[in-house]
Amino acid sequence: MRDFEDYCWRGLITPEIEHIYSPYLRDRAVGQSPALLVIHPGTPVAGDWTAAAAGLIAEARERGVPVVHSLPPGAAQDAALAPREAEPVSPRPCESAFFSSDLERVLTRLDAQSLVICGAPTSGAVRASSVEGKSFGYRVALAEETVGDTVQMLHRLALFDIAHKYADVMSAEELLQQDTFKAALVR
Amino acid sequence: MNPESLWSDVIDAPTAALMADRRMAPFSGRRLAVVAVDLYDLVYDGGPKPVPELIESCPASCGEFAWRALPPTIELFKCARDSGVPVVHVTYDTRLETDPRTFHPTNRKRRQPDLSLYTIKQELTPQPGELVIYKKRASAFFGTPLVAFLNELKIDALIMVGESTSGCVRASVVEGWSFGYPMAVVADCVFDRCDLIQKASLFDMHLKYAEVMDVAAACGHIRAGASGRH
Repeated sequence: MRDFEDYCWRGLITPEIEHIYSPYLRDRAVGQSPALLVIHPGTPVAGDWTAAAAGLIAEARERGVPVVHSLPPGAAQDAALAPREAEPVSPRPCESAFFSSDLERVLTRLDAQSLVICGAPTSGAVRASSVEGKSFGYRVALAEETVGDTVQMLHRLALFDIAHKYADVMSAEELLQQDTFKAALVR
Repeated sequence: MNPESLWSDVIDAPTAALMADRRMAPFSGRRLAVVAVDLYDLVYDGGPKPVPELIESCPASCGEFAWRALPPTIELFKCARDSGVPVVHVTYDTRLETDPRTFHPTNRKRRQPDLSLYTIKQELTPQPGELVIYKKRASAFFGTPLVAFLNELKIDALIMVGESTSGCVRASVVEGWSFGYPMAVVADCVFDRCDLIQKASLFDMHLKYAEVMDVAAACGHIRAGASGRH
């Protein structure tokens, strides 16, 4: 796995800030028995993240990792990220996918014990859901290519904060190499 | 005060341009409360020094940024108390038996031999009758009775102070906004461990969830509310 700070925020974050944030450095991993949470944006967010997220969703389905969708009521769906019929869709009225939604109930009934999150926007619903996912007791992992925002600066700064405080940020390739990114052995 | 001056030196042009589409009603409320997040001794540890000098000895300290925010926070508390606006204090619940201790509110490594450092700073100490919320997670709302107490007190808008701006303050602002409260963030009274993250957090909160204002403007809202009630 690449160096902890060697992700999209590199170049924006000075060595002095890296030093200040050194108490956050740690090993990163996908937790046991994950679910993939797809954060659909309320308004379209352009960028390459959609294709990367679609690739991650396809891989999760292939491996039997449960896929759960968080969808703002009334939002136009991106066909590339569209839920399959059997996949739970949790309406998201606010910013975090957990707030005022049935997501925690859905995850409990799936027996999900950790989360992988993809979607958009990074600085909005993805960030809020990472914070609240951790607050609910789930280890959270994200692949940087699979989340996106309307402007690069907000994407990079949000991922910096998320990576240090709330979730294990890695590349999509690194995430797919995690041997925990698979269906739970016992359900 | 034009809040854009608070972050204009770090936010690039395409990002700053998003502010033109900001859709947020001006902050207002008839029954305000001040919510003070995590103003305990730990973040003042080591004194008003640059944070990089404190990282080894006091890794949780916000150093000079914490100390710089102390006088305006004292001023805001006084204004609120003089005006009958509740001050609600939020701190970390240090009780070991209430926590499986596999997680902390954030992923920062902790050196905490002395749990007494989670005592609220003496200059900001809760007065008799003021509420103290003990939390385990980043947001002041998560797993706490805060929203129930705000309902009991008929509070309809929140003025947020404390630390860290990008962590517990922001998480509390997002959740307070989600609960439907108009949110104000007092720029002089919130702080973090570095300038870039402080300013970027203020920008992002002002864009999406809150009105960022200085302490004079916050005191103006408090006094206006107080005069409106009499």
